[in-house]
Amino acid sequence: MLTFILKRIGLALITLWLLSVIVFLLGQILPGDPGRAILGPLSAQSAVTALDHQLGVDKPVIQQYWDWITNFPGKSYTYQTAIGPILTAALGRSLKLAIFAFIIVVPLGIFAGVVAALNVGNPIDKIISVGGGSSTVIPEFVSGIILLVVFGVALKWLPTTATAPPGSSFLTSLKYLIMPVIPLVIVLFGYIARMARTGTVEALDSDYARTATLKGLPRRVMIRRHVLRNSLLPTITVVATQTGYLIGGLVVVETIFRYQGIGQLTYQAAQQKDFPMLEACVLTIGLVYMVVTIGADVLFSLLNPRIRLRAAE
Amino acid sequence: MTRSNSELDRLRSGRSELENHYIDELVNGNVSRRDFIRKGSTIGMSVPLLGAILAACGASSPATSSSSSKTTAAAPATKGGTLRIASTAPAAAVNPLTVSDAGGLCMLNQTGEFLIFDSNLKLALEPMLALSWSPNADASVWTFKLRPGVTFSNGQAMTSADVVYTFQELSNPSNASNALSTFTGVLVPSGVKAIDPMTVQFTLQAPNGNFPYLVSSDNYNAIIVPKGTDFSKWQSTFIGTGAFKLSSYTQNVGAMFVPNPSYWGTKALLSQTSFQFFTSQTPMITALQGGSVDVVAQFVPAGASGILNNASYKIIKLQSANHRELSMRNDIAPFTDARVRQAVAYTLNRPAMVAGLLDGDGSVANDYPFGPRFPSTDTTVPQRTQNIAMAKQLLAAAGHPNGFSVKLDTEQYEEVPQLATVIAQDAKAAGIDIALNVESQTLYYGKSTYGNSDWLDGTMSLVDYGDRGVPNVFLEAPLTSTGPWNAARFHNPTYDALVKQYVAATDLSAQRAVAGKIERLLLQETPIIIPYWIDGLTASTPNVGGLNPTSIAQLYLNTAYKSA
Repeated sequence: MLTFILKRIGLALITLWLLSVIVFLLGQILPGDPGRAILGPLSAQSAVTALDHQLGVDKPVIQQYWDWITNFPGKSYTYQTAIGPILTAALGRSLKLAIFAFIIVVPLGIFAGVVAALNVGNPIDKIISVGGGSSTVIPEFVSGIILLVVFGVALKWLPTTATAPPGSSFLTSLKYLIMPVIPLVIVLFGYIARMARTGTVEALDSDYARTATLKGLPRRVMIRRHVLRNSLLPTITVVATQTGYLIGGLVVVETIFRYQGIGQLTYQAAQQKDFPMLEACVLTIGLVYMVVTIGADVLFSLLNPRIRLRAAE
Repeated sequence: MTRSNSELDRLRSGRSELENHYIDELVNGNVSRRDFIRKGSTIGMSVPLLGAILAACGASSPATSSSSSKTTAAAPATKGGTLRIASTAPAAAVNPLTVSDAGGLCMLNQTGEFLIFDSNLKLALEPMLALSWSPNADASVWTFKLRPGVTFSNGQAMTSADVVYTFQELSNPSNASNALSTFTGVLVPSGVKAIDPMTVQFTLQAPNGNFPYLVSSDNYNAIIVPKGTDFSKWQSTFIGTGAFKLSSYTQNVGAMFVPNPSYWGTKALLSQTSFQFFTSQTPMITALQGGSVDVVAQFVPAGASGILNNASYKIIKLQSANHRELSMRNDIAPFTDARVRQAVAYTLNRPAMVAGLLDGDGSVANDYPFGPRFPSTDTTVPQRTQNIAMAKQLLAAAGHPNGFSVKLDTEQYEEVPQLATVIAQDAKAAGIDIALNVESQTLYYGKSTYGNSDWLDGTMSLVDYGDRGVPNVFLEAPLTSTGPWNAARFHNPTYDALVKQYVAATDLSAQRAVAGKIERLLLQETPIIIPYWIDGLTASTPNVGGLNPTSIAQLYLNTAYKSA
């Protein structure tokens, strides 16, 4: 197991380094330059040139990459301050939103998927499958705006922004996150429920499940002891792959609900050609994604001994 | 007018030749009360003096306002409370030298002050850190007397050394200063001098009758900072002389300010102001509607019908010079012929544009950079109106009886793409087929230099320009032969000479006379089309009062209050 984890970490580090090079090079071919992005289109060219020189973007590309990687995460071109605190704060906000969403949607999705699988062909199965499938295609900005208008503006039950006032308690800050979490739950519910349903149906059809039933195990015990741990395997993979979306892909939700997460920070960095910030954001999202997928692999192998033994061989 | 000649004579004594000239213009009825106030303030006449002169002339005192406010009855002013404001997030570090966006400049004026304040509400210049100012005979040298007893928020007294330092940094060509686009050709660092601890003199590179505007709040980078300030670190302190000082600033999230106890003026009524940063307008509007904020600092009509047509909100509307400019390459066929350019202009239904795109919050423009915001505008020039028959006639005379096809480059910004669509639709009536190319601002502006920018190089190009207190930059940069933003490639020596005359003129009548010539020349040549002017809009809940916004997105909260 340790060898397996170390191997994965090694591969992750190589992947992250390749990612940093690719993103840096892609950033170079984006139109515009940092000085012009900061000073605006109507600023004097002499001012833009002076600022570009101050920022060091007139140095050779290799020199810029080396300066950045040796001073990681470095200083933001746009905000002219250390990237670390801004990035940490944004990541913290994104993680809070993602964890809150996961806490709701994962148990809900798994429960719904298992219930659907246990009632294949029945109306409840159809409601969960069709309802879940339909909810997946509703874009977050559509459901988000509807929620804002209904619960924030018309009924005034919930705050219209996701950022709680400074000094708010943890519970208050969670209250502010209720509305942005709901569109995420709507989008992810159908996907998780469908995977859980598929996994459960397969597990119920398997030889070991049939053997357990023929052995005389009560259905409830058979499901809990034999079916569930196997049916959740594909669900774990799905949940892990959604982490990237939840951590770095919520630009629209963050904009609608005024929530400065890492998604928006990355988008703004790309717009402003703030290479150090863009690189730091992308690598951070990549790192979080790697950690979660390694964690998912470990959990996967714990639940499925065949994976563990194959890795040991 | 019932005039008090003896009082008028008393007020005239000690005034400069230029000031007496303005008084003559008022007495003779050559300038309106409003224009007298505005122009008089430009050359340093104080508001009490202007009021006294007007009273002596039998007119009422200067209480003009260019704003209209659709509101319920004003709530009484109360002390205390926290005002929550939704504003655009600063796009970059809040550095007075480099700020170029609405969010950033709104932050500068929370704690920073200028020598002069250009009041959109009163349409006049008001003393701020300078108590008075005056030009020499040809307006090539301007002398400013500073306000005594002003301290920065760190307790340091403000002197002329601080003002000199500020303007030397802003006008230094080696600096990454956004203000260089204002000061290039006008002021160099060696032209700023301290005469004594309370007097600063500016020696200009050329006469400029509107120079006070260039050191006013119009030039949003020009807040006065202590000598030796590291501008790149200003965001950590927000040091300034204003009625508020920084409490906290969180990048991309918000900022809070508390009253400055050592402020030179009337102390702020509020206990605290809390700015919440947004990256788009819709969430700002819903935040106001949902009660999360009390004020939306600045917004555009598109997407705001929920509050614009709702008596539950107070809307402050400011006349502004914010506009859109369509340029046509005078050096590329078919626009080498002025008749073709005029034809395009005649296809446009401007009132429909104002009604449809701006929800009525604007006014029609006449294809030159003079408009209601500027008192020097010659209003006798007839307004161009839609005339499809005339457009077809002009095209036929120019050798295009069946019209022609052309590409229009423009930016994805506010209502600009919709305006481009309307222009294309209107032009179709005359057989002009316009294909639109709407790009992100980064792509559209490119490097903002000739040969490297769709904005400047496109055969037809539609761009936005923000508000200014005087039309100088609109006359020079996009239209003079050496202008850096001359997307139309308009080269007209007569025009260049007229602009030089206009810029140098200090006398309102002289400015207006030159403006009239410029307006007629531009109507004849039509290198550009300006379809409308756009009002600046600020919204609040009914229990908020005392807001003082400007149409360049500043928001002064010195007199703001929030009743229970």
